[in-house]
Amino acid sequence: MPTIPTTLRPWALMLPLLVVILGVVTWPLFRTVSLSLSDAGLVATSGTFVGFDNFAKNFGSKAFQAAFLNTAWFTLLSVGAELVLGVLVALLLNQPIRGRTALRGLMILPWALPTVVNAILWRLIYNPEYGALNSLLLQLGVIESYRSWLGQPQSAMLAMVVADVWKNFPIVALIGLAALQSVPRETHAAAIVDGAGPLARFRFVIWPYLAGPLMIALVLRTIEAFKVFDIIWVMTRGGPANSTRTLSILVYQEAFSFQRAGSGASLALIVTLFVMLLASGYVAIMRRSALRG
Amino acid sequence: MGALSLVGLTKSFGALQTLKGIDLALKDGEFLVLLGPSGCGKSTILNMIAGLIEPTSGDVRIDGRSVLGVHPKDRDIAMVFQSYALYPNLTVARNIGFGLEMRKVPGAEREAAVARVAETLQITELLGRRPAALSGGQRQRVAIGRALVRDPAVFLFDEPLSNLDAKLRMETRTEIKRLHQSLGKTMVYVTHDQIEAMTLATRIAVLNQGRVEQFDTPEMIYRRPASLFVAGFVGSPGMNLLQGRIAGGRFLANSGAGILPLPDGFGHLSDGQAVTFGIRPEDVSLAGPDAPVALPAMVEVVELTGPEKLAVLRLGDERITASLAPGAAIEPGSSCRFLFDPAAIVLFDTATAQRLDPHPDRSRDHPARSEYPRG
Ligand SMILES: Nc1ncnc2c1ncn2[C@@H]1O[C@H](COP(=O)(O)OP(=O)(O)OP(=O)(O)O)[C@@H](O)[C@H]1O
Ligand SMILES: [Mg+2]
Repeated sequence: MPTIPTTLRPWALMLPLLVVILGVVTWPLFRTVSLSLSDAGLVATSGTFVGFDNFAKNFGSKAFQAAFLNTAWFTLLSVGAELVLGVLVALLLNQPIRGRTALRGLMILPWALPTVVNAILWRLIYNPEYGALNSLLLQLGVIESYRSWLGQPQSAMLAMVVADVWKNFPIVALIGLAALQSVPRETHAAAIVDGAGPLARFRFVIWPYLAGPLMIALVLRTIEAFKVFDIIWVMTRGGPANSTRTLSILVYQEAFSFQRAGSGASLALIVTLFVMLLASGYVAIMRRSALRG
Repeated sequence: MGALSLVGLTKSFGALQTLKGIDLALKDGEFLVLLGPSGCGKSTILNMIAGLIEPTSGDVRIDGRSVLGVHPKDRDIAMVFQSYALYPNLTVARNIGFGLEMRKVPGAEREAAVARVAETLQITELLGRRPAALSGGQRQRVAIGRALVRDPAVFLFDEPLSNLDAKLRMETRTEIKRLHQSLGKTMVYVTHDQIEAMTLATRIAVLNQGRVEQFDTPEMIYRRPASLFVAGFVGSPGMNLLQGRIAGGRFLANSGAGILPLPDGFGHLSDGQAVTFGIRPEDVSLAGPDAPVALPAMVEVVELTGPEKLAVLRLGDERITASLAPGAAIEPGSSCRFLFDPAAIVLFDTATAQRLDPHPDRSRDHPARSEYPRG
């Protein structure tokens, strides 16, 4: 067998990976950048160079601004609710209750379902004619007649957030539960002997062990939520009246539905930029708290 | 005041009975050490005194009053834990003052108390730091400070030294002893380290499998162990224990180590009774050439530990460890003659594992049986 010089060996070993990264990340990114600077219609074409026209046009457009607000709103609501619900459920499942192990298994179920399946389930629940939610609320006397939850701009986004929270709070709860289990039992006991009530114990005993892992959950969930596409695509396709159209939906529509690949590519790069900003902001916060802790 | 009594205390976790009836009574100002192997229920007892666990049955009384159902913070106790159990994001000062803070003690009074305690423990310069920036020994001082500042009637310690290295452990042990002497407070201290138990305690309760094997002064625990368990658990190296039976008023070792004479007072034991003969290593000594009742043995191993010379002697199939003066003339592989200090011999009933006590009255019936020289 021919031998490879030692200095080249690491490169030889990494070559397949480099090829894959070049093929699925670098090249598409390069293509997207060049598309975004052109007036190409179909994704496969190249069009003519138009400089930063697409970016300027999109930043100023009503559709972009609305989609940005929708995305921010969706992210804020669903991540906020997921964190609160996740921590509460984690606290509950950390109690010495009967059947706790089974409950922990059950809890993870919504997260384990594929997003598309979850979206279809919730579309059924929200169904204006035979949906479970209508039936439940009617019987409880909250509403007087069946409503089209996903069909009205006022409720569609909230309904979407609920479906997303249902799907994603388990991962927060799971991370939270792992963190809670690292809280030393003796510190808990010391706080009880010191006379700390439940709130003081949460703040001085539990929180120091929970904050770091929750921060990671927050970062992961925020970035995911900001890029949200599949659940919305399955449930509303961005409607009604674009009330659930987020940036990723807008990118798809621009590039594929309206066949404005150049403009769509510029939107995609804008989303990427926002996500990078978010991520680096979080990294800075985490580094600061790591230095303090 | 901190008189403490545990009355018929039991605890079951599910079907498993961890504590099987603990009765201990302490006067105010005593230092009780709960000593026993891992899993024998020491922490469980301490947690029941603290009120962190409720007993299945029995009672905990502080100053004669039952404290069952009283919240830990209202029991007038403070606790120091093995893992220090400090609050990670509070400064040392707030850690120490936390109990006062939770009890709504005014800030100025709290700060004065914290400063006083920090002074006592010589950790004043650490007050502004967080626990992560402290060494293990410093953390344990802070944990002790947190207990001191509360000025409770009873201090509870759960293996407070076991995470420290040997030197720090000794220093902190002395520190705790000094605190006990200067404060005069009742302390209950859990450990499985018998040196800690011997040095700190006014009384030791040796626990085994949820029962008190012996509740006595350190000296009695060491000199007159109540059972084979205590004899084997306390002391390092442990007490020499030889299996055998009574034959004609003497001890006949099963291993063929020979027939050993018994001290006065065991004439009442019947022939053939299975007994275990116990003698501490330091009560074994080399015999001079003209000693009347010395036993012959082979010297197997000699170890100089510093203050003493440990010799493993072999007689028959039995091995006996002797703790001798460091200058003792003894060579491995040679033979020697040795004797026991008759006053130090402890005899156990092998069947019940309990100590057999001499009957001073009966021994006069058999004066001839005493083969040990007196004096
Ligand atoms: N919450 C609990 N649930 C079930 N069993 C328990 C619980 N707490 C303690 N035990 C059991 O009770 C027994 C005594 O435990 P304990 O912690 O009192 O032992 P210990 O003497 O302090 O041991 P160590 O020296 O290892 O700290 C152990 O067998 C333990 O498994
Ligand atoms: Mg313990």
